[in-house]
Amino acid sequence: MGKQAGSDDRFSRIRQRRVGMLLLLLDLLIVSVMLCVFIGYAGMSVSDPLIVQIIGAIRLPRVLLAGLVGAGLACAGMAMQAVFRNSMADPFIIGVSSGAAVGAAAIGMIGAGIGIGGILLSFTQPMFAFLGAIITVFAVYKLGTAKGKVHVDTLLLSGVAVAAFLGAMTSFMIFVANKQYDILAHWLLGSLQATNWIEVGITAFPVIIGILIIFYYGRDLNVLLLGEEAAHNLGGNPESLKKTMLAVAAIMTSVAVAFTGIIGFVGLMIPHMMRLVVGPDHRMLAPASVLGGASFLIWADALSRSVMMVPVGVVTALLGGPFFLFLLRRKKLRGDGE
Amino acid sequence: MVKSVFMVAIVVVCLVGGFSGGYLAASMISSQGSNGGAMTFTDDQGRNVTIDGYPERIVSVAPTPTEMLFAVGAGDLVVGVDGYSDYPVATENITKVGDFELNIEQIVTLKPDLILSSDLVPTEDLEMLASNGIPYLVIADETINDVFASIRLVGNVTNHAADATALVSSLKARITAVTNITLAAGVSKPKVYIEYYPYWTFGPGSFGNDLIKLAGGKNVADDQNNEYASVTDEYVVAKNPDIIVYTTGAYMPNNVTEIVSRPGWSLVTAVENSDVYPLDDNLISRYGPRIVDGLEQLAEIVHPELF
Amino acid sequence: MKLEIKDLALSFDGKKILKDISLSVEEGEFLSLMGPNGSGKTTLLRCIMNYLTPEHGAVLVDMKSVHTMPDRELAQLFAVVPQTSQMDFEFTAYEMVMMGRTPHSRSRFSGLSKRDDEAVAEVMRCTNTWKFADREFSGLSGGERQRVIIARALAQEPKILLLDEPTVFLDITGQLEIMDLLRELNKGGLTIIAVMHDINLASRYCSKIALIHEGRIESHGKPEEVFTPENIVRIYDVDVIVRKDPLTNSVSVIPRNTSSISPMHGTRVHILCGGGSGGHLASDLIDAGYAPSAGVINVLDSDFELAKDLHVPVVTEIPFAQVSDDAYSQNQKMIRESEAVVVADFPVGPGNLRNLEAAMLALEWGKAVFVMNGDSIGDRDFVGGKAGKIVGDLIRKGAVTVNEKRELIALIGKKLGR
Repeated sequence: MGKQAGSDDRFSRIRQRRVGMLLLLLDLLIVSVMLCVFIGYAGMSVSDPLIVQIIGAIRLPRVLLAGLVGAGLACAGMAMQAVFRNSMADPFIIGVSSGAAVGAAAIGMIGAGIGIGGILLSFTQPMFAFLGAIITVFAVYKLGTAKGKVHVDTLLLSGVAVAAFLGAMTSFMIFVANKQYDILAHWLLGSLQATNWIEVGITAFPVIIGILIIFYYGRDLNVLLLGEEAAHNLGGNPESLKKTMLAVAAIMTSVAVAFTGIIGFVGLMIPHMMRLVVGPDHRMLAPASVLGGASFLIWADALSRSVMMVPVGVVTALLGGPFFLFLLRRKKLRGDGE
Repeated sequence: MVKSVFMVAIVVVCLVGGFSGGYLAASMISSQGSNGGAMTFTDDQGRNVTIDGYPERIVSVAPTPTEMLFAVGAGDLVVGVDGYSDYPVATENITKVGDFELNIEQIVTLKPDLILSSDLVPTEDLEMLASNGIPYLVIADETINDVFASIRLVGNVTNHAADATALVSSLKARITAVTNITLAAGVSKPKVYIEYYPYWTFGPGSFGNDLIKLAGGKNVADDQNNEYASVTDEYVVAKNPDIIVYTTGAYMPNNVTEIVSRPGWSLVTAVENSDVYPLDDNLISRYGPRIVDGLEQLAEIVHPELF
Repeated sequence: MKLEIKDLALSFDGKKILKDISLSVEEGEFLSLMGPNGSGKTTLLRCIMNYLTPEHGAVLVDMKSVHTMPDRELAQLFAVVPQTSQMDFEFTAYEMVMMGRTPHSRSRFSGLSKRDDEAVAEVMRCTNTWKFADREFSGLSGGERQRVIIARALAQEPKILLLDEPTVFLDITGQLEIMDLLRELNKGGLTIIAVMHDINLASRYCSKIALIHEGRIESHGKPEEVFTPENIVRIYDVDVIVRKDPLTNSVSVIPRNTSSISPMHGTRVHILCGGGSGGHLASDLIDAGYAPSAGVINVLDSDFELAKDLHVPVVTEIPFAQVSDDAYSQNQKMIRESEAVVVADFPVGPGNLRNLEAAMLALEWGKAVFVMNGDSIGDRDFVGGKAGKIVGDLIRKGAVTVNEKRELIALIGKKLGR
């Protein structure tokens, strides 16, 4: 009996510790926002009255969008890893990035032909990127679903195939567009440059709602990982859950990508890192990913606009590439050691 | 599934509302001017921009407007340029505000009252500056007459209208001087192939094509579909140009050795006679006053016997 | 509690997988669903747990259809153990088992109760998995993982445990671990339905078998009732010997060596044997297409067991008796009906000397006679040299000596022109 009491304590102590980590992450996010709002052009002294305008009009929206996009991508990435039962999945796996690229390139090319430039283009490009992403996800979904049941293996492959095809189309459009390539290049590399409050407002809705929906299904995502039959047996209703997750992730990610371009690796890396901190239970992992993802992208963007002067997509790729290799190695070692 | 439809509806409403609001707000802010010495100018994208008095601090975020500013004598007003603006020499000492990505904050701290840009700079960067109270004008030219119009615009905006008019006259005179020779009756038109990047040339409708014509040559690529056309070895060899011109510059990998050693090119007349010449890329890709320099140099290459 | 399956039918892609299945399962049974690949057994299991919906028929538990049951009720009725559980994520064994408590939590947001912790500890102890509660699930061995999954299923506090080929990816240690555990659980009152592929394991551990073939139940009952050679040949299309194992008291099935069966020409060959010398010869002859018979063998002789299994006609004698006249004349009859006679290398005593004498008769009647290992007759002679003399006479009069079993078939074939 004594031993039993001791073991119960062990597990609830672990749970308590994890909740503590969550609170820590929340603190980290708040601190990050406060600090990064003061990071920017170094040649300016803090007492300059212009600072208020710069922080309010330029930096704050940028920091907030970084937080929203980081949170959304990380949470969507976590959901995709659960749906595909694959820790290498990321939020772009269902075709969002390739679809958005085609949409953005298409309007750039068409726009050049019919004289849409300037403001009108900066207006319509995110719309077309969003539409391209959503249409592509829908096509990939249809390819991977038979008789109302989502076959995740087929879905994965159809995502890869569609991405390859659309990638070729995008390349072709870039080839043909030549002069417009400059505008597209800014978008493709993933950047938070010139974020305004309108973009923050538009992104906030789907991201916040999407995150809340994913939180709600935290327990079901755990069960989904157990396999189709076990998930069904435990009452997780896997089919409806998969569809909901795909839809939510698609919308959140597409809105983010429409404005920022393709910021890679956040959706892949953050869930992994957070699993190390709070464990794989989605009820903890979801909030942790949101907080961790937001803090991460806020800092990556601060880095990209101060020290490195490159688009933030470059920073996340530089960090993400080696991380991905590290993950692969860890998986391989674990697999061999069995 | 109902939940998803609901969500999509929310997003669509947000997008439509957001975009309409944003557009309205943006167009309002950028045409915001105050009373008094308010002047309205129309830039090359048809935008009407009102500024409050002549600008005293200008930031130029593209090389062509930079060159125009200095050419009309307004160089002393320039307090910031982008990293690609390297002409004239005076730009070396001017604060650089970013190249691929502009440092918007830095631009704001320079407190400019006007931005000059080209059409290759992302509009959202310019709109962000506009919403911070800094108006911008876009310079975007397709033909030589467009260039003249832009020079006049820059002159008007900077209170150097007279200098601008004089510049335009002198440029026109130089062009006429060249074409009197190159387009005179009985002057032959050598076939010219011009390359701004390996296997990329200027097709019909482009500046480069116009310049070749004015320089008294015939562009071998004038049957292409695109302003910027890609070609193959067989194409060039079949066209057999008399003269090959390649551009040089910071990011240009073109060089003579590589060109003449391309498969089949040794049969080309230009290669046989060693008529392969370099040309500064900035003289034909920046559609500003120096395009005329480009024309003059091109004319000398195409008709060495006449210059 | 009673599970009834009534007139179940299901098609997939236009192809009928289940046709008219009816079955009932009593509380406390350990039922194995068996059949060749593609017979529909896994589909049947999935219909039982309501994962698949049949086109026709119903699955009823205590007269209530599973189709109408809410998810929670279903989850506390059936617990499923799938074939494998690959997990790409670092859940501990404890966390895996804890997921089985999902149907018992009040709402999706309620935390874990003390009751949950206790239940998990209990099922992990009884599946002997408590010792790796802290360890990562994916780092465990196949057998350990299956036991953890069974623990998870038990944490659901189900009335019926459903397993889909639980031992298919396990080595022999793992297999026995799992089956022993299941038997313990079944003894404790848990009803178990398992799809299995291993006939010997199933007959050893299960109380009832349902044999399924092409979507129909061909046989249902106790293992020894279901696993008859006829059933197995008919359903699995494999020629087998079925034995009741004296140690485990279960039925075990031994496939015959059916590689390279020659066309059956059914040429009669009679084998004079005993003492275990003739069984394998009979088997080889059958494989080569002959129709052997054997005699005179006593009923306790291992040759007799094998001959019976192979359906070889045998002349028998009671043990410890001399070959009677009756048996002797039967033996002669068989020899007369055969074209060849094989004298196996059996030890010759006074009791079976007449077997050897029968070989002389065979020669006189013009049959082809083959003597196995004639040289060793000296070691096998327990009649004071008489056996050796007869063998010698046989050889002199034209019997062929054969030293290797392998050669026998070839020599018979040559001699008889087959």
